Amino acid sequence: MNQDEIIQKIKSGGQTELGLVYEEYREEFLRWLVKEFNCSLDDGKDIYQLTILIFHDNIRLGKLEHLVSSVKTYLFGIGKNIVKENLRKEKRFIPISKEKWLKENLIDEPTNKIDDAVFERAKNALSKLGQPCQRLIELFYYEKKSIPEITLAMNYKNPETAKNQKCKCMARLRKLFDEETEQNTFAINHESL
Amino acid sequence: MNHSEADITLVEKYFDAELNDAELKNFTMRMESDENFKSLVEQEKVLIAAIRYEGAVSSLKYLEDLESKLQKETPLSLSSGSRKLYYYAAAAVVGITIAAAVFMNTLKDNPEELFQAYFTPYPNMFEAATRSNESVESKRTDAFRAYERGDYQEAASLFKDLLKDNNEAGMLLLLGNSNLILGNIKEAKENFIALNKDFDELDMQAKWYLSLCYLKSGETEKARAILKELGDTEISYATKARELLEKVN
Repeated sequence: MNQDEIIQKIKSGGQTELGLVYEEYREEFLRWLVKEFNCSLDDGKDIYQLTILIFHDNIRLGKLEHLVSSVKTYLFGIGKNIVKENLRKEKRFIPISKEKWLKENLIDEPTNKIDDAVFERAKNALSKLGQPCQRLIELFYYEKKSIPEITLAMNYKNPETAKNQKCKCMARLRKLFDEETEQNTFAINHESL
Repeated sequence: MNHSEADITLVEKYFDAELNDAELKNFTMRMESDENFKSLVEQEKVLIAAIRYEGAVSSLKYLEDLESKLQKETPLSLSSGSRKLYYYAAAAVVGITIAAAVFMNTLKDNPEELFQAYFTPYPNMFEAATRSNESVESKRTDAFRAYERGDYQEAASLFKDLLKDNNEAGMLLLLGNSNLILGNIKEAKENFIALNKDFDELDMQAKWYLSLCYLKSGETEKARAILKELGDTEISYATKARELLEKVN
């Protein structure tokens, strides 16, 4: 499989395809990282997982469509940058909090960080949404699947039904978010009494 | 807060990239003049961010589970020292030597494979891609951050723009790297030639990457000339350059 085929496979696939890439370069990446930066194997694994997620993110968002270098070179380049950023901040290698790292590097915009409290309320609302809504909007907004792809993946009658369902799910999510905000406001007011 | 159905549809279409020109104009105007509408847009942005975040966390969990499974099936140990390992290693060296000899012969005729074997993007050593609230700095931060995240298309576009007003060696080196990765070999060559010509710093890096550009475009004679020059020095690239020169010959 050439480099562009790997990219295409990840773009059209899901977690299974991502897992195949993970396995393919895992050993070589970890050996290189541990030797090059003298970090522990566990820290190396954390960095490798984040590297694979960035690779995945760039493909899904259409930022990476063709590679002139190999996938391996690309992954090593990203891994090196994660380590350097870590070392620059702390002057020594410290374990990465992966979930915090994901928010700061994949979600927040450089000049517009999402307020942690507001983000927490959005996550709470999402956790209350339930299935199949959660899966549907994740396919659309995270995996960047098209409506026809979602129609097939989730067995909807036709694309119009899938699109309507997506709009209904988002309306429900907005309502849940409003409720979270109201509860939060009530709690703050209650505490200040 | 209550919002009209029309506003919700407009916002949904914006985030789904479905707005036509007239709708986009309306959207931009509303964002500038209507705080209630702006708050709806901000809320939608946060909700989509939460969906993306949970998706990323779910993928992370999948990789963590996979890693646990792999560690059980094929434990990866980076420590050495056992006698058994020594014999395995000795056997591996023989195997690798034979494989390497075959590989080197292939490489001698194939600049593309040599390029693949030797090219690694230069890391961002120049700027912390930290967040800033200063709008003047934001494009600069965006550029370095895009480079670090491997979004070379975005990085190249931003670096190119930034270099128009502020010619910096580090940015030029990373622009050249971005172009090289994207396959814009002609632009990459121009970047490295300019870096070598216009600055007193990073000239060895510029020459190394220029030699890789020539290798990529099949101009092996030009690549050899630069590699020979680098190999004759005592800088950090010298060993790599001598090794690569041997293979290009």
